[in-house]
Amino acid sequence: MLKSWKFWAVVAVIGGLTAMFASGFGHDPKLVPSPLVHRPAPGFKVTELNTGAPLSLESLKGTPFVLNFFASWCVACRDEARLLESAYLRWGQDPSKLRVIGIAIQDTPEAARAFAKRYGKTYYLALDDAAGDVSLNYGLYGVPETFFVDAKGIIRYKQIGAVTPEVLEEQIPKLIASREQP
Amino acid sequence: MLPDLGYVLLTAALAVSLYGVVVPHLGVVRNNWNLVRSAQFATIVNFVLVAGASAVLMHAFLADDFSVRFVWEHSSSDLPLFYKISAFWGGMEGSLLFWDFVLAAFSAVVAYGYQRNNREVIPYVIATLNVVHVFLLSLLVTYSNPLATQSPVPVEGRGLNPLLQHPAMAMHPPMLYLGYIAFSVPFAFAIASLIRGKLDNAWVVSTRRWTLAAWFALTVGLMLGGQWAYEELGWGGYWGWDPVENAALMPWLTGTAFLHSVLLQEKRNMMKVWNMVLIIVTFGLSIMGTFIVRSGVLNSVHAFAQSNVGPAFLVFLAFAMLVAFTLMFKRIRLLESRHTADSLVSRESAFLLNNLLLIGICFTVFLGTVFPLLAEAIGGTKLSIQAPFFNTIVGPLGIGLLFLIGIGTLIAWRHSTWDYLVRNFRVPVILGLLTSGVLFALGIHHPGALIVFGGAVFTGYILGSDFYKAVRARASQMEIGFAEAIVGTVRRNQQRWGGMLIHFGVVFLIVGVSGNWFHQEYNLTLTENRPVTVGSYKLLFKGQRTEKKLNATLHEAVIEVYRDGELVDTLKPARSFYPTQPEPLTEVAIHRTVREDLYLVLASENQGGTVTIRALINPLVMVAWFAFPLFTLGTAIAIFYKPRRLEEPVTEDRLGYI
Repeated sequence: MLKSWKFWAVVAVIGGLTAMFASGFGHDPKLVPSPLVHRPAPGFKVTELNTGAPLSLESLKGTPFVLNFFASWCVACRDEARLLESAYLRWGQDPSKLRVIGIAIQDTPEAARAFAKRYGKTYYLALDDAAGDVSLNYGLYGVPETFFVDAKGIIRYKQIGAVTPEVLEEQIPKLIASREQP
Repeated sequence: MLPDLGYVLLTAALAVSLYGVVVPHLGVVRNNWNLVRSAQFATIVNFVLVAGASAVLMHAFLADDFSVRFVWEHSSSDLPLFYKISAFWGGMEGSLLFWDFVLAAFSAVVAYGYQRNNREVIPYVIATLNVVHVFLLSLLVTYSNPLATQSPVPVEGRGLNPLLQHPAMAMHPPMLYLGYIAFSVPFAFAIASLIRGKLDNAWVVSTRRWTLAAWFALTVGLMLGGQWAYEELGWGGYWGWDPVENAALMPWLTGTAFLHSVLLQEKRNMMKVWNMVLIIVTFGLSIMGTFIVRSGVLNSVHAFAQSNVGPAFLVFLAFAMLVAFTLMFKRIRLLESRHTADSLVSRESAFLLNNLLLIGICFTVFLGTVFPLLAEAIGGTKLSIQAPFFNTIVGPLGIGLLFLIGIGTLIAWRHSTWDYLVRNFRVPVILGLLTSGVLFALGIHHPGALIVFGGAVFTGYILGSDFYKAVRARASQMEIGFAEAIVGTVRRNQQRWGGMLIHFGVVFLIVGVSGNWFHQEYNLTLTENRPVTVGSYKLLFKGQRTEKKLNATLHEAVIEVYRDGELVDTLKPARSFYPTQPEPLTEVAIHRTVREDLYLVLASENQGGTVTIRALINPLVMVAWFAFPLFTLGTAIAIFYKPRRLEEPVTEDRLGYI
C-alpha cells in the first residue's frame, strides 16, 4: 500500500483540501476590499439633524474626516457609538484638523436624534435622504461602515462593522498627518 | 432543572457510544458474540438517551423556557407552534442534536434489524456508527451544547429568523439531514467490510434500501430548499448556485452515481473499487456540506447558520477520509475485479457514462464552490464564481444525462448489435426529432430548448413503451386484464419500475429547469386602477392594504391579474414586518399555471400611492415541481423490493479474526 502512488495521491488530495479549508478560517468572505479605497471620496450634501447646518464634500476641502454610517436600529452601531464620540473629543475639537461626521441611513430624524442623545453624541450628525443617495454612492453593504478620508479627499481606509479603538488609533493620526504633506 | 437532566443524558450517551466503539472490536478479538450483542444493546440505549435529551429541548421550546440559551436565541413566545417545533433545528446546536438523534435512531434500527445476518461485518458497522456518535456528542457536551442555560432568565426570546418561518424551511433541513445521515449506514457497512476483508457484494445488497432512502431524502430536501428560495427569498429563482446549495447537491450527485453503479456490482460484479470510492466520497461530502454551512469560510445566503464548530468538523472530515481510504488501499487486491464491460455498446457502458457525467457535474460544482477559497489561499485575490460558470458546464452534462436515461433503459446488457440498436431506437429518435422540428416551426429557436424538448420526448417514449411492452406481454401471457397486468408487472420487479417513475421525474425536472431560458423580467410602477401589460397578462393595481398574519404585519399591494380579458387571480405581493426584525421582508405572490408562473415582488411603496413591483414570468416551473410526486411514488415502489436474501447460517462459534 505504501508503495502505491495512488494511495499517496489520495492522501495528498485530502491534505491539500484540508489545508485549503483551514486557510478559510479567520477570513471573513464578506470582507471584499472596497473599490473606493485610495480613490476620491464621493460627493455628498447633508444637513445637521438638530441645527440644520449644511455640510458638503466641497466645504471639507483640505480637512481630513471620519465618515461613519449608522442607524438607530443597528445593534453593532451601539457598540461603537461611544468610541466615535470619544474619538471626536480627543482629535476633532479643532474643525480644521479633523471632522467626525455621522450619517444615519434608513432612519427617521426622531429615532436618529434619540439614538444620538442616548449615547451622548456631540459631533456632526445628519440623515441620508429617503432614496439613500449618499449610502449608494459610498457602496454601503450595511451599517455600520466607516470611511477614513484624508486631507486630499482620498479614502484611505474603510471599516466594515463597528470600529475598534485600535482602528481609530491607527487611522486618525495618519489622516491628521496628511494635512502637512504637500 | 430539566435542561440539566438533558445534559446528563447527553453525557451518558457519549459514554455509551464510546462503549459502542470499543466493545464490538473486543467481541471480535475475543471471539465473544455476547460482547457484540451488548454493543448492539448499547446502541439502542444510546437512542433512548439522545431521544430523552431531544425531548428536553423540544419541551423547552414548547414551554418558552428562555433559561435555555438556545431557545432564547431561536424562539419567542409569539411564535406559532409549528415554528416553535421547527426552531429546534433553526440553529447550530439544535441541528447537531437533531443530527445525532436521527443517527441514533438509524443506528438503533441497524443494531436491531441486523441481529441475524451480516454477522461478520456487523460488529464494525456498530463501531463505525458509534465513532460518528462520539464525534457529535463530544461537540454537544462541550462547546455546542443546545441545553446550556443562562441566568438571569430573559422574559422574551429573540425570535426565529423570519426567513426561516416558511413551511418548506421547516422540512428542508431535516430532510437533508435524513439524507446525509442515511448515507452513513452504507458507509458504515463499507468500512466494516473493509476492516473484515469481506468484500463480496453483501454490503451493497444489504444497504440498498438505505441508499435509496438516503437518496430520496436528499432529493426531497433539495427540492424543498428550492421551493423555499423561490417563495421566500424573492429573487425569482429556485436555484442560485450558492455554496450552501452546492454543498447539499454534491453528495446527491455522488449518491446518485453510487445508486447506479452498485447495480453493476450487484448484477455484473464490476466496479467494486469505484463503489467503495463513491460511498466514501459521498459520506465525506455530507460532512463537508455541514462544514461549509456552519463554518462560514464561504460567502453564502445562509449566513444565519454560521457557528464555531467549523474546525472540529474539518478535523473529523480529514480523519474519516484518511482512515477510509487507508483501509481501502489495504484491501485493494480483494476489490479489484476481473470483470470489465464486454463491449462499448452495452448497458454497462451507459452506466459508466452516467457515472462519468454525474461525477463531472459534481467536480464542476466542487470546483466552482471552493475556487474562491483556493484563489484567496494561493493568489490572495477575492473573487466569486457566479451562475454562468455552473450553467455553462452543468447544462450540457445534464442534457447528456437526459438522453442517457433513455439509452440506458433500452440498450442491452453485455453487447448490443447494430441491428438491435436500429430496430429499437428508430421510433424514439424519429419522435424526438419530430418534436424539435415542430417546435422550431412554431417559433421556438433556442437550440438548447429544442434539444431538451426533443430529448424529453425521446426518453419519455422509451420509458413509457418499455413499461407498456412489459405490461402487454404479461397481460397476454397470463390472460388477465390490463389493470391487473400493471399491478403484476410492477410487483414482479419493483426496483425496475420504481426506477422508471423516478426517471420520468428526472425528465420533468430537466424540462422544467430548461424553462429558465425563456424567463422574462419587468420592473413596473403601478398606479391605482391603471392596467399594465406583462407578457400575456394584464395587471390592475387595486390599492394597498395592511393585514395581520400570525406574528407579522403585512403591507400588501392588491393586484388583479387578467388574462384574455378574464380575471384569473388576485395577487397580493407584500412587505412583511416582524416585531423582532428592523427591516421588512418581501412576501412574493405567485400565479401558477402548468405553462408558466407569474411571480410578483413588491419592491417599494411610493409616495402618492403608487407601488413599484418586479414581475417575472417563469415558464415551466410547475413542470419541475411535478417531478416531486414521481420521485415519491417511484421511491416508495422501489424501496419495498426484497433484495435477494443473504441468509447466512447462524454460526455462534466462529467469528474469525481481523
